[in-house]
Amino acid sequence: MPQPRQRLLYLHARTPSVFSDIIGLTPIEPVAGFRVEISAEALDWPYKTVHDALVDGWQIVQFPHLQAPFDDRELDVVGYEFILQKMEIVNG
Amino acid sequence: MDDQFLLSDGQVAQFIVNGYHLVEPDLPAGLNESIAAQLDTLDHNPGDAITESVPELWQVLDHPQVKGALISLLGRDYEVQSHRHWHCKLPNSAHMNWHQDGLNSRDTLINRFLGLYYPTDITPEMGPTVIVPGTQFRNAPTDRMAHYTNIRGQVPLVVKAGTVAFTHYDLWHGTAANRSDRKRHMIKFLFRRTKDNEQPSWNHDPENKSKATDWNSRASSADPNNILTFANPLGVSQSDHYKERAIRRRNWDYLLGKTA
Repeated sequence: MPQPRQRLLYLHARTPSVFSDIIGLTPIEPVAGFRVEISAEALDWPYKTVHDALVDGWQIVQFPHLQAPFDDRELDVVGYEFILQKMEIVNG
Repeated sequence: MDDQFLLSDGQVAQFIVNGYHLVEPDLPAGLNESIAAQLDTLDHNPGDAITESVPELWQVLDHPQVKGALISLLGRDYEVQSHRHWHCKLPNSAHMNWHQDGLNSRDTLINRFLGLYYPTDITPEMGPTVIVPGTQFRNAPTDRMAHYTNIRGQVPLVVKAGTVAFTHYDLWHGTAANRSDRKRHMIKFLFRRTKDNEQPSWNHDPENKSKATDWNSRASSADPNNILTFANPLGVSQSDHYKERAIRRRNWDYLLGKTA
């Protein structure tokens, strides 16, 4: 009997709001040998916002950390990271 | 140096904003092909001595269009640094994830950058370098980029043979996988400023200073003031965009010869 596996989706959003636009997207499929890679082709983005992913059944398992110190000069990583999951029966 | 090869105000502002500038020099017929053929047959990587193995590479660096961009961005006394590297991406090799070169001691001023020379046409299948315009002022340990794969606004350097891509040293970059049956060659050079500017080293038009901030045509404005104010290649948040603007202004003033 197949068991549900954890599909992961890393979304880097413009702001900590789930309604803000997505800047970065990394899907992780729980399949042996699965790899992600930077593409040189035009991309088909499945979601415009984090909320679009929620509507499609993804659940947020980690919200962006907002406790880090900040100032008005330094820039570091791009966007605010949401980690989402779907528990599904996956072939492969 | 003929001033016709120097960059314009708009091009310098775009480099500050995006962190890259492409030059397609009108190289002598057969030069790219000759360099590519020599690289195809090299049996080891000579490291910094790549210009001794393939001396024609100097013809690329000495081309007026290449020198014009270098002078515009680094001043007339720019230095070609001794470190250089032949990046040969083999057929059927995997992608390389995002990274910034070096350690996390960054300089947000325009004092050094890379020149990436491609002696052949580069197709999407050949594993092009991929850059993320607008990330050059970010200071992010490469380990913390491991969760990113595709980033909106990333640009694969799918370029014509002979293209030199000047990229800010700290611009986020990686490569796509090479799924072709050809080696993808790229020679990386490093350039450095040796003297602070006392005046602009490009084709600067002082009249541009008086161009008003135009909130109605922010996306299409070609003058430096509006480019530096409104351009947002990554579509980042207001907080980040305000910080970027401040860094851009500091760079612009620095290149004009004012105290940064």
